[in-house]
Amino acid sequence: MRFIVRRLALFVVALLAISVVVFAALRVLPGDMASVMAGLNSPPERVEQLREQLGLNRPLAVQYLDWLGALLRGDFGTSMLTGRSISGQVAQRASVTFPLIVMGLAIAMALGIPLGCAAALARGRRARGAFQLAAVIGGAIPALWGGLLLILLFGRGVGLIGVLPSQGFPADGWDAPGEALVSLTLPALAVGVIVGASLMRYTRSALGELASSGYVEMAMSCGMTRTQAVLRVGLRLATPQLVSVVGLTFAEMITGVMVIENLFALPGLGTGLVTDVGNRDLIAVQSELFMLAAFFLLIGLAVDLAHRALDPRLKTAAGEGGR
Amino acid sequence: MMARFGAIVSSLWRRAGGRFSLVVLGLWVLVSLVSLVWTPQPLWRTDGYDVWAAPSAEHWLGTDGTGADIVSWLMAGSRTDLLIVILTVLFAGALGLLLIAAMTARNSVLANTSVVAVDALISVPTILIALILAVPLGASVAVIVVACGFGYGLNLARVARPQALLVARSAYVESAVSNGASGVRVLFGHIVPNILPVLLVQLSLSAGTAVLAESGLTYLGVGVPSGTPSWGHSLATTVRFITVYPLTVLWPGLVVTVVVVALNLFGDALRDAVDPVGNPALRRVAVEETEA
Repeated sequence: MRFIVRRLALFVVALLAISVVVFAALRVLPGDMASVMAGLNSPPERVEQLREQLGLNRPLAVQYLDWLGALLRGDFGTSMLTGRSISGQVAQRASVTFPLIVMGLAIAMALGIPLGCAAALARGRRARGAFQLAAVIGGAIPALWGGLLLILLFGRGVGLIGVLPSQGFPADGWDAPGEALVSLTLPALAVGVIVGASLMRYTRSALGELASSGYVEMAMSCGMTRTQAVLRVGLRLATPQLVSVVGLTFAEMITGVMVIENLFALPGLGTGLVTDVGNRDLIAVQSELFMLAAFFLLIGLAVDLAHRALDPRLKTAAGEGGR
Repeated sequence: MMARFGAIVSSLWRRAGGRFSLVVLGLWVLVSLVSLVWTPQPLWRTDGYDVWAAPSAEHWLGTDGTGADIVSWLMAGSRTDLLIVILTVLFAGALGLLLIAAMTARNSVLANTSVVAVDALISVPTILIALILAVPLGASVAVIVVACGFGYGLNLARVARPQALLVARSAYVESAVSNGASGVRVLFGHIVPNILPVLLVQLSLSAGTAVLAESGLTYLGVGVPSGTPSWGHSLATTVRFITVYPLTVLWPGLVVTVVVVALNLFGDALRDAVDPVGNPALRRVAVEETEA
């Protein structure tokens, strides 16, 4: 219980710290927000008007508290460019990004975890070397290039086996579920292969450590083969660690898929944020950066709590008597 | 010192992975230096009649959409990436050491605050930091170096902390402090030498990630500014034409992949080479030096 309270307190403190960082980052601009948003060579009156409109003439503390209060009420502001509410805009983009991440992560897990198990179980020097090389190369491919190679293989009208669309997302969004799903397949595959390589490395190292531990030896002395012992006992023991890794990977993918979203012209969170930065829509940028950062912290919190629930050893190790 | 260096390099050379990485990294530095004085074609000589040329004696890998020579741009790009990697590693190393010093400090308020700060900030991804920085700075090498250096520095501190803490609370540091050793002396005389293997491995992995980050951030328009040669720039400028000229996009991606593989293998090989337990030659040298 004490652990949960402390972890929640850390979450709140970190959230406040992030809000200060994001707020400050956009206030230390050369010139100020208004002149950046108005753009170069805009008349001083326009800048002054914008400054007034954004409330930039007020003291920094007031501006900050005002923004924070609005965030707490769930009001993320309106985009200067489109005039739409930022939360609506983000929700729409998330409806592209989240399915992409979930599909990519599913592919990554389907590839990475079995391959990682196989790598940990591989006996011969050759086999071990081959698995290691595959993991290292998989982790060294730039996302942009990996995506391009997949387009060259499978992209409709481009690739050798041109069967999948490689550009854009249906305008109807999820009202046309089949089309939407198909348009996400190739980008999800690109994400999945790259993330799969890193999941493979984690699985191999987690299982590799356990394979030489007392648990696995004990299981083997009870009559299991090495393969059975590693897969039944080792994998169960490695589960909490793997859940943490998958959770954190999920969070990282939100920004990790930015390049892939751009390449495949998908209107997701990453593409949106890059566009907003490019358009100097700083009100939107400020709220979006905070929302993303808050999301990362939330996943971190969830992962820590899940890790603890899955691994009872941590409770006793902390000396809290199993509660 | 030289003898130690020799023992480490010869241990690296004995492993296939280490040898591969030494060759690739050596070539990288060599090509970067050569590109300062010579490239097969001048960078800015573009020929409107010679766009998307096939590989030939004049243009070894052909030309891109502006008629610029692909080999020359890749060669020139290697020095930009080398600079980015060196600066990022220095930044990450300095920040990491600073944080390690704070985390292992005797002042418990400082130590606890820095641990909490690292835990909180580490979940903020590099690209997000780069985008925050790109708002005031625009596309620049500084965005990549600061964003990556910041993220990798935090990571370094977190990974090295348990071992650093073990050293900082050890009896010999205790005795050094009671003999009047300063915090700086403890850090560089005791903590750093003991966590050096972890530091080197992490930094060499970070170097690989920095090369990947350069290509991604440059593609997103917040990395290397357009017109400056870099591998990411070569990749990004050819992307739009893959439907027409797929071959041109192969080369920059291949260069990045090979270099990142080399940096990762270098980290793995270095871990064994700098560890006196795993490298008997190094142990021998160290013993001789102490006796001399």
